[in-house]
Amino acid sequence: MKLKFKEESLYSLLFLIPALVLVGVFIYFAIVWNVYISFTDWKGLIPSYRFVGLENYRILFHDPVFWTSFRNNIVLILLFVPGSLLLGLLLAILLDRKIKFENGFRTIYALPFALSFVVTATLWAWMYDPSDGVLNTLFSMLHLDFLKSNWITDPHVALYAVILALIWQFSGYTMVIYLAGIRSISSEQYEAAIIDGANPLQLYRYVIIPQLKKPTLSAFVVLMVFSLKAFDFIWVLTSGGPGTSTFILAVEMYKETFAKTKFAYGASIATVLLLLSFAIVLPYLYWSYRGEKE
Amino acid sequence: MRTRRLLLYIILIAFMFIYLLPFWSAVTTSLKTGRQVTMTTPIRFVFPPYFGAYKQAFSELKRPVLNSLLFTTFATIFSVMIGSLTGYVLAKLLKGETSRKLLIFITLGIFLPYQSILIPLLRIITKLGLYNTIPGMILTHTAYGVPITTLLFTNYYYEVPDELIEAAKVDGASPLKVYTSIVFPLSIPAFVVTAIYQFTNIWNDYLFGVVLTRGEAAMPATVKLANLKGSFVANWNIQMAGALIVAIPTLFIMIALGKYLIRGYTSGAVKG
Repeated sequence: MKLKFKEESLYSLLFLIPALVLVGVFIYFAIVWNVYISFTDWKGLIPSYRFVGLENYRILFHDPVFWTSFRNNIVLILLFVPGSLLLGLLLAILLDRKIKFENGFRTIYALPFALSFVVTATLWAWMYDPSDGVLNTLFSMLHLDFLKSNWITDPHVALYAVILALIWQFSGYTMVIYLAGIRSISSEQYEAAIIDGANPLQLYRYVIIPQLKKPTLSAFVVLMVFSLKAFDFIWVLTSGGPGTSTFILAVEMYKETFAKTKFAYGASIATVLLLLSFAIVLPYLYWSYRGEKE
Repeated sequence: MRTRRLLLYIILIAFMFIYLLPFWSAVTTSLKTGRQVTMTTPIRFVFPPYFGAYKQAFSELKRPVLNSLLFTTFATIFSVMIGSLTGYVLAKLLKGETSRKLLIFITLGIFLPYQSILIPLLRIITKLGLYNTIPGMILTHTAYGVPITTLLFTNYYYEVPDELIEAAKVDGASPLKVYTSIVFPLSIPAFVVTAIYQFTNIWNDYLFGVVLTRGEAAMPATVKLANLKGSFVANWNIQMAGALIVAIPTLFIMIALGKYLIRGYTSGAVKG
């Protein structure tokens, strides 16, 4: 029996090696290295590890572009996260009414989420093109000229245009999450409420929506973390422009690091992003860990 | 009641039009000549369709699409295999605190903003001599796939009854034998879901591709598509044709295998 146990631990270790090595090197070692780089003066293509302490962070916190990016990140979170959650919930509720072709509708709504951000950014560049683009042409045809806009070329509109397109892409995901949540509520609870004379509105208000806490929270965390690292879509659609009107932290990090080759400075922005995502994720993990124990 | 049902369908169909509009205008525009793009509205098709834009976009994207297919396939296979083995250990061989702590250690990377490892990653890949190579892309995507594949498989293996494995152990089978003869065949559904999820994720990536490749030797299709935007600024027909070419694999997956992809999303998965 003892020999058996030893054999099993040996196999466990053997099977775990690939995952532990990859995660250890590419995630944990890389995180520590990145933080270390943020304390150095590495500028230009050849690495330099001269220690400068918190100098990069001091410059960063006095950099107006950093605060613009930070502000835009907050606006993105405040509009994109609730926007995607609410639209997804609405679509899920609409689809949960014994609809014919439910699968067809569901696939269509979820289609954008299966695409690369590079693809969707290319599609939306054409949607938002001010001269011949889809939206302005459509609004002209429908005599809704007051809705026409310069979209991503107008610094006052660009960020909101980006957010609108991202909600288009993510609401299919939140719909899927909510639909699974609604479907997992037991039919007895439905029946009990219906016997008590609840109308559909009350059914959602008092029975279904209160039980969607878990899917809401997990979708919330996914959307929040995405808002922090959103890069591909914005980079391809606007490159952060016009000016810095659609700069967010991830865009600034890329531009400082790879366009201006200020590696140490870029590493400090990356560290700020890491800390922000910790602030979102750790309470969530703590909460779900406790939930599992209970 | 009847009118309310009707209203419901009208709302659903209205949403359908909104969700499909960007695709619709991409298809119509991709089938026009440059002149037709400016002379007609992006809502309308033009007859006869013009295929020149696809020809040009395809000649630009041919090599990058092949690159993407190659590294996406291999990185999917490797990350799924590692995820399955790790999940088996965490759910069946180890128990209690050790297993739980290891699971958190491995899967925490799901929430990682990749910016925070990007510079070290570039250094590691360059030092290994894998910059701008297909093996470099495979290694990178395998490594960052492990957290999510491990989570999906561990959750799946929790549901496999311990008795099945105990019975085989009593017969004297080694853990490897148990894996190959019992666990692996039982987890085909998990392999399908995880592989489809990983294929979509890796195919869609842009950030790793743009940082780790230069020139056509290993450049992914997404990076080339983004570059087309610069080299064909006002050629919307070529840009739309390119976007649709790059979208084909994942569109196909969503339409034909959407059920599995959606299962990946609902098992606590993250994008991009």
